[in-house]
Amino acid sequence: MAIEIKLGDRLAKVELLAEDGTQVKIMVDNKEYDLDMQQVENGVYSVMYKGRSFNVELIDTDSPKKYSVNTFYHSYDAEIIDAETKYLQARKGGEMDDEQSTISSPMPGKVVKIQVGLGEEVKKGDTVIIISAMKMESEYKAGKDGTISEIFVNEEDTVDGNQPLVFIDDLD
Amino acid sequence: MIKKISKVLVANRGEIALRVMRSCRELGILSVAVYSDVDRTSMHVRYADQAFHIGPAASAESYLNMDKIIEVAKRSKADAIHPGYGFLSENAEFSKRCHQEGIIFIGPTPEVISTMGDKITARQTMIAGGVPVVPGTKENLEDETTILKVVKEVGLPVMIKASAGGGGKGMRMVDKEKDILSSLRAAKSEAMSSFGDDSVYVEKYISSPHHIEFQILGDQHGNVIHLCERECSVQRRHQKVVEETPSPLMTPELREKMGQSAVEAAKAVNYHGAGTIEFLVDNDHNYYFLEMNTRLQVEHPITERVTGYDLVKAQIQIAEGQALEIKQEDVFQFGHAIECRIYAEDTENNFMPSPGLITHITEPMGLGVRTDGYVYEGYEIPIHYDPMISKLIVWARTRSEAIERMRRALYEYKITGVKTSIQFLERIMDCPDFRNGTYDTHFIQDNEEFLLAPDEAKESFEDLAIVTAFLDYHHKLKNAQVNPKSAAHNKWKEFGRRRGMFRASEN
Repeated sequence: MAIEIKLGDRLAKVELLAEDGTQVKIMVDNKEYDLDMQQVENGVYSVMYKGRSFNVELIDTDSPKKYSVNTFYHSYDAEIIDAETKYLQARKGGEMDDEQSTISSPMPGKVVKIQVGLGEEVKKGDTVIIISAMKMESEYKAGKDGTISEIFVNEEDTVDGNQPLVFIDDLD
Repeated sequence: MIKKISKVLVANRGEIALRVMRSCRELGILSVAVYSDVDRTSMHVRYADQAFHIGPAASAESYLNMDKIIEVAKRSKADAIHPGYGFLSENAEFSKRCHQEGIIFIGPTPEVISTMGDKITARQTMIAGGVPVVPGTKENLEDETTILKVVKEVGLPVMIKASAGGGGKGMRMVDKEKDILSSLRAAKSEAMSSFGDDSVYVEKYISSPHHIEFQILGDQHGNVIHLCERECSVQRRHQKVVEETPSPLMTPELREKMGQSAVEAAKAVNYHGAGTIEFLVDNDHNYYFLEMNTRLQVEHPITERVTGYDLVKAQIQIAEGQALEIKQEDVFQFGHAIECRIYAEDTENNFMPSPGLITHITEPMGLGVRTDGYVYEGYEIPIHYDPMISKLIVWARTRSEAIERMRRALYEYKITGVKTSIQFLERIMDCPDFRNGTYDTHFIQDNEEFLLAPDEAKESFEDLAIVTAFLDYHHKLKNAQVNPKSAAHNKWKEFGRRRGMFRASEN
């Protein structure tokens, strides 16, 4: 069985080569792993790899194909990309905006200042919005030349991570 | 005259609020917490004996709201206020208001806060008190001609600094004559926008400086002692990251001399309470007064660990009017202590703040380990305050043992849900310049390549995460499917079921 798993920006191909009790032989991209894996409590796996012991914790999300994975060194968001997901993505694909058009907040914070107005033309690199989090202000800049066609937030609003803030339309 | 304190309002939040309350509890003093809208679930509210709401999340309307805090102090019948660090801790007006309202302010007098808060006045006071200061100007420089003249006298490189500055704002280093005027104008404009005051002064730039500070305690009877030094040269954007004591640069002779200067500095302003005298020290052991912090410092636990004295307890006793219970000859350093500040920030992504939900936390334990924190599993770190979430302090008999202990403790420290600086701190502990103790304030900048190098093990952890998610999904799928073997008709099972039913009908 081989499927793809999306981990952050990485899309990895995973293939189960053999499974015998807790012994697992598995291929991630081109790297083969011989692991001894045991689920020790709900969502928590103890993994032995090359004589070292690791804990991996899986936290369920609202979707059965999405996990929040903690290796206790890093936290990741993992998504199973199976045939159904691929089909849905392909259908949505045509409507998806390119990343440069939407300015999103990479972290939760508070909108300090919106430097642009609706219909205003911006150049790539212009500061569009200023977000403050934990006493630090960050400027978010336009990823391309264009016109501000949507502003989804107001000054003083509290925003979540990955929340769309401003949409830039192509110049006519 | 001694006035016993029976209840302390802690005008702060986070780890420092808890830290102060712990000492209060040991002294049999009740503690009162104050909290903003977003801090209702914060640990300091749960730990305190009483807690009062003081306003919205924005600190200007809550933790900096003097009227509200004084009103709560009166309502709760607190006889003293401890300001912690940050917020109102170095606000002369607040100290004054407390005195006027008959509430003990656990800290220095308003006059001392004003004197030491203004860098130019602080500098003049130190010169008058015979404490060495960095060569430069003594007052605010008005016109550009005077500044050019002063810079020539002091000699390049120089630092242009905002009088009301802090945190590196309004500060410019100039090493070329042609850059003097443009840097001056930039510093003035930044000082104006950051502090509403464009006064600047000029100081000689010390190359390879070490940031070494002395902890002092002064009582209301004129006794001042120092509790030795802290080495705070591991800094990023003028913010301390790791502190240790004793300083690897220190010799017994230099400690004696600098300690004496620190005591003289405190005496020069008739200081009482806990305070810190910060110095810049060059490689030839020349030292210069930098500034005085008229409050408890973030890094105070390492001093507590090597000297054995509880600084918050001392602050409270001094505020009650008690004489210091120890003399200078009672103070000695035992072993070595290191503190690491754990920040909620993404060190791999230009140290971007990382507020959010703590999904898991395991704090380190074991011999010689102390954690001063306030977050717990399920706690949401708010976006409104400082990104520091805890301090990890270790102690061991020797410096090298303390470094190994800190590495071990950082390894045990697991926080998920938000990004933290734990791995960055592990790198600092591994860095040769840190390990051999030959670092100065340029340490992080000089070792950036080593400290921020891509994590080689990261790919393996990514792969393990992928494998685990895969297997979990794979097993879920397998269990959801109907196994054709078990679904097939099994006559023996059917026979057993019938016999069971037969027996049941017989009974």
